[in-house]
Amino acid sequence: MKNFYRKVAFGLGPKDEVPSDPLKWATSQLNEIPEYSWKGKILPEKELRNYYRDYVYGDRKVLRKKFKNDKEGYKREKNKLRHLTGQKFWWNLELCIRHSEALKSQTPVLAKLWYFWGNHFAISEKDFLAQYTTGAYQREVIRANMNQNFEKMVQEATVAWTMIHHLDNNDNVGPKSQEAQWAKEKGRKVGVNENHARELLELHTVSPDCGYTQEDVIQMAYVMSGWRPNWGKKRLETGDVHFNYEYHQPGTKRILGKKYKSGRKSLSAVITDLVNHPSCREYIAMKLCRYFINDNPTKEMMEPIIKAWEKSDGFLPDVHKAVVEVAFNYSDKFKKFQNPENWLLIMSKMSDVELIPTPKLMDLYALGLKPTHEQRSLEYLLRELGHHPYLAKQPNGWSDVSDDWMSPELLIRRLVYAKEAYYKKNRKSQTNEFYEEMVEKNYDNPSEILKTINQQGDLSNKHVILFNLPETLKS
Amino acid sequence: MKISRRNFLKGSATTLFLAGFNFPVLANTTKKKNLVIIMLRGGMDGLCAVPIIGDKNFEKKRKDLILDETIKLNSDFALHPKLKNFYNLWQNNLGAIVHATNIPYTKRSHFDGQNLMETGGHIPYAIKTGWLGRGMKLGELKGDGLALALPMPLLLRGIPSNDNFYPSKKRLPRTELLQLLKSIYAGKSEHDLANMMEIIANRSMMSSGGTSMSRKNSSLALKAGLELKKINGPRVAVFEVDGFDTHAAQGGVNGSHSDSLIEMDSIFKSLEKGLGPEIENTLVLTLTEFGRTIEQNGGRGTEHGYGSAIFMAGGLLKQSQVYTDWPGLRKKELFEGRDLNSTIDARSIYASAMSTVFDIDFKRIQKKVFWGDKLQNLSEKLFKV
Repeated sequence: MKNFYRKVAFGLGPKDEVPSDPLKWATSQLNEIPEYSWKGKILPEKELRNYYRDYVYGDRKVLRKKFKNDKEGYKREKNKLRHLTGQKFWWNLELCIRHSEALKSQTPVLAKLWYFWGNHFAISEKDFLAQYTTGAYQREVIRANMNQNFEKMVQEATVAWTMIHHLDNNDNVGPKSQEAQWAKEKGRKVGVNENHARELLELHTVSPDCGYTQEDVIQMAYVMSGWRPNWGKKRLETGDVHFNYEYHQPGTKRILGKKYKSGRKSLSAVITDLVNHPSCREYIAMKLCRYFINDNPTKEMMEPIIKAWEKSDGFLPDVHKAVVEVAFNYSDKFKKFQNPENWLLIMSKMSDVELIPTPKLMDLYALGLKPTHEQRSLEYLLRELGHHPYLAKQPNGWSDVSDDWMSPELLIRRLVYAKEAYYKKNRKSQTNEFYEEMVEKNYDNPSEILKTINQQGDLSNKHVILFNLPETLKS
Repeated sequence: MKISRRNFLKGSATTLFLAGFNFPVLANTTKKKNLVIIMLRGGMDGLCAVPIIGDKNFEKKRKDLILDETIKLNSDFALHPKLKNFYNLWQNNLGAIVHATNIPYTKRSHFDGQNLMETGGHIPYAIKTGWLGRGMKLGELKGDGLALALPMPLLLRGIPSNDNFYPSKKRLPRTELLQLLKSIYAGKSEHDLANMMEIIANRSMMSSGGTSMSRKNSSLALKAGLELKKINGPRVAVFEVDGFDTHAAQGGVNGSHSDSLIEMDSIFKSLEKGLGPEIENTLVLTLTEFGRTIEQNGGRGTEHGYGSAIFMAGGLLKQSQVYTDWPGLRKKELFEGRDLNSTIDARSIYASAMSTVFDIDFKRIQKKVFWGDKLQNLSEKLFKV
């Protein structure tokens, strides 16, 4: 049962009391969205997007022209521009905010769910989104809606600037729109771009199980045409997302057999229908189970979650409570292989690793400076572990299936970074007593675990073994 | 008389796919042969990499994406000008192309498509192993796979104990600790973990740990080439190249699709270097989830399509040639009126390659790896059997 603390959160830290009612401990964390536990600077998405603007404008419109015939000069100035716009710093700050929720907050269960939703509405590696806005998008669009209905999260994620840019909806133009007409007169050809429309159906809501066709995807793209950043000479593609009728495909659209009138309101109407489709709740219940419980969720597992969804109309706190309860009921039966980021956080929480740079250190940063190694440590570490949450390879995010994380190199990383983490620990926690207490608190079979790790004399080696035991890798 | 494009190609330089005769394959145990698969993720545009020459339909639909100064391969097809290393192989009879081919998947989703290109199946996510892993299992090639990537690709699943290489910059723990973990895993019946730890422990004994190496595909390919060259080294290697999903700014010779093609090309070069003379006993094939639309879209990019092309390299190839049953690019010849058609199931090429490299009868592969699907044995046609 004690693996439940690692299953739905990150285990119990040295200062955490052992909850008298574990299930209640977990479910009580899910009602509200508390203030961030990170006490340093937090920038709004809009401000970070402005830095992105300054970078793309400066590069594309200024430096490329100015240094047309000077490759070295271009390289040097571009590097300066990177630092002037904080390109190597912001995403590290975002990771501090993100990881504080797991390690320093009173709501680690909410944090683990936040990571799930961030990955569900994933922003994969594209342009410089990860460096500037992905983290902020996950805060302002994903986390902020975790006490709302699922529908609201979908509505907001779909028209979030980062998502629209990520899935190319700025290039999605109705073939019969005014813009297409103008383009034709100028000899340009514009048309539909299905990417975002397809992912809205496939990844974000109903999944292919609902049986939509290629025609549904095209119709969805028509509905989405016109949702694009407000373009400007200086801000380029970084303006706020708005609905521009000149790019919208006129006429009635038909998706999954239902008709929608043309115009601004149609996207929201389609989303309402998609989130209420039975395939949507089944798909999301399956994904939640796969993330928390095991690789192959069963119908019985999914059922209470689907029921909670139906009863509450997709109210996320209720859905989350159902998930946590199912995870609790199955905690002895199924162990879930923890992805590298969650594993890192489990290790840091339980053994008191000072993983996150202090707010004081991060706030020393000023634009134009090159961030220090310490300020960049999280980004570096996650990349090394093979799991940077803002750098998923595809829009379907990082895998929830253990086989995808099972390889020599990935396990090597857990060995070497477990060792490294040990030396980041406070001296007081580098004692045998500390480990005994921690094992007692976090495992159902403490004496067996202690016997196993005590085969090594050196405490740093005990640490490496403990965090690479099957009991820790799988929770 | 006006000859239609399709008939013209049929009658000239390019070879047809006729149903091949299935000669029994004799096991050849004296030579170690290698198979390398390069996965091109995002949908490789076969018409950008290997454009057709002089097709008005093509030129009209891709006004802004037509490449200048392509390398002419034969009277019908050219090569992307940045694929210099591949062209070098081609000139030495070590490079060939299959055009207008794809896995039997037509729905245009990356995730489903990539899942199917790796599993070789028909229903996305239904199969949990890769066709290459299953082929290796049939050839009893346990421990012979090497992925040059951090996560283990699905393509190699189906046989345990594959290795992957994507160097860490830190030192490994001592072998003794690794052996202890291995025995703990074995004691708890955690076989996958135990297998992994065995590989790690062996690696730790081989090297002193912290040699820092670049993770560029060109460096990884050099390392892979050197490993494949060893008589007791791996026999299968898998690479990944991302970034083919160019919905926007696909561009011409210097566009984003070119960047990914150049990366692929660098793998050919380094593999050749690392393998040395063993390139003669090696076969390299590319694999992608689908091609891209013929027509450029609003963002000077292309959408997800269907038919693409396969690059092939190595001394196990019969000769340099573009193999295709060209379907044509007129609207009615296109798949759903928009994409290059696929006239040959790409899995026929992969099955034939495994039959050649692993010395397994084609029919067994067809039956055990691809569930008896209707595939053609092209081993005789394409490869030195």
